Amino acid sequence: RSSSRLPEPAWSARPVLSDAQSADPELLDAFAAPIVDRRETARLVRELAAVRPLPGLRHVKRVRPCGDRGKPHPLEILVCLLSDVPDVEDRGAATLSSLLPCESFDASGLGQPFLAKVPASPPLTRPQYERASAHWPTSFHEDKQVTSALKGQLFTSAQKAKMQEYMAAAVRAAEDGRGRGMDAVGAVMVDPDADRIVATAHDLRHGSHPLHHAVMVCIDLVARGQGGGAYCYERHPACGFAGPGIKGEQRYICTGYDLYVTREPCVMCAMALLHSRIGRVFYGSASADGAFGTKYKIHTHKDLNHRFEVFKGVLQQVCSDLNPETTS
Amino acid sequence: MGSPSSGSDLTKNEFAHPSSEEIQSWMAEAFGMAKDALENGEVPVGCLMVYEKEVLGKGRNEVNETKNATRHAEIVALDEVLEWCRARQQDPKAVCARTVLYVTVEPCIMCAAALRLLNIPLVVYGCRNERFGGCGSVLDVASDDLPHTGTSFQYISGHRADEAVEMLKTFYKQENPNAPKPKTRNE
Ligand SMILES: [Zn+2]
Ligand SMILES: [Zn+2]
Repeated sequence: RSSSRLPEPAWSARPVLSDAQSADPELLDAFAAPIVDRRETARLVRELAAVRPLPGLRHVKRVRPCGDRGKPHPLEILVCLLSDVPDVEDRGAATLSSLLPCESFDASGLGQPFLAKVPASPPLTRPQYERASAHWPTSFHEDKQVTSALKGQLFTSAQKAKMQEYMAAAVRAAEDGRGRGMDAVGAVMVDPDADRIVATAHDLRHGSHPLHHAVMVCIDLVARGQGGGAYCYERHPACGFAGPGIKGEQRYICTGYDLYVTREPCVMCAMALLHSRIGRVFYGSASADGAFGTKYKIHTHKDLNHRFEVFKGVLQQVCSDLNPETTS
Repeated sequence: MGSPSSGSDLTKNEFAHPSSEEIQSWMAEAFGMAKDALENGEVPVGCLMVYEKEVLGKGRNEVNETKNATRHAEIVALDEVLEWCRARQQDPKAVCARTVLYVTVEPCIMCAAALRLLNIPLVVYGCRNERFGGCGSVLDVASDDLPHTGTSFQYISGHRADEAVEMLKTFYKQENPNAPKPKTRNE
């Protein structure tokens, strides 16, 4: 019990998905009816598609097996959306003749209609698929990577050990900065191919410059490592860069790099990472005006020309303990 | 030219808006900076930071020169303002709160956040920034409710907008020599 080794902290890197990927499925009111004569099924599907097409709902299956085994009719069919029949007044007592043009449609084989709900858009993630399918069967083109990311199974334990090592380096930078009177925020830029840290920084907003958040410092240090850069950080020994890689190969700004930062970046820093064409971002704990999940999701914005993956929760507790007042 | 938009707290910015003569002459200088950027292979954006009729900072994009994608005109000019404050032992917050930014293109999302963090109250800009604009075009960082990201600011848009767009088009027609992929753009 007095072991000096801490147990491996329990954390998981969770993907920060777009709003479209994380929202609850929007549902539309519809009418369905049991198919009382199975032999009519194919004809009913064909003719309903003609008189009550469902444009924009190609993900919704027209026919579903009836969930209730006690019922005499094993299949149910989607007749129309509520919005297709604005004149129907009593939804609960709607009849087939009020839902369908009786002169052109042969309703034989259909039973008494009832209300149902169908998902308005195709599900993008497995949780959305499961929630949508609970209402009406829906097709789903699964992104296996997103599914395993959501389950926390995207990374192997060897990868998690590396991620923990990089975030721990960012935490050490944050602590160094705190020791010098700075906000306790640290960041490291990692070349994932060479498996090495190319720049380490801590927050300097209360030191050299009000805009020198840890991420901004880190980006400039990467630039220095590439022979550029705009500032000098000699007075801050915990901020530094590693110089060009073994092969001396030059990256274009931060293309393909991973950033580890203890706290969710603000909108300035998030956009700076986008401008720098960052590969992936891992952050520890959320921040109140954070731009990768809390206030904005800069990395998923449809109008911005560079998208990238963001994961939160690496060493979450350690990171949130650095800034107890700003995490949420 | 547009009328001032944005902002909560319009009354907070008690100083007078610049006259159209002032706007014209400061913007002429900002356009000169943008031209200098274009001639040096940078995205043609130029700006001026003006405090009580005195220019405290000037900037143009220097992304390629510094290999740092955050070196936008506004950030460069803000550095000069901070340097001016340091040299005169003035409080940057108090100075920035009375400083107007004149810039040829709508500040991007990053720069809009930087301007908030330094409490710049008013931005006069030329054309919209359809790709990255942070004053309404892509996001409205200028007016959004971000209580931990400085103060919201007002903006006046549209001064010599066509000219600003033309300069950007000229730049994007040439290929950015420092980018490996022709699609990479920095403003
Ligand atoms: Zn920041
Ligand atoms: Zn900018």
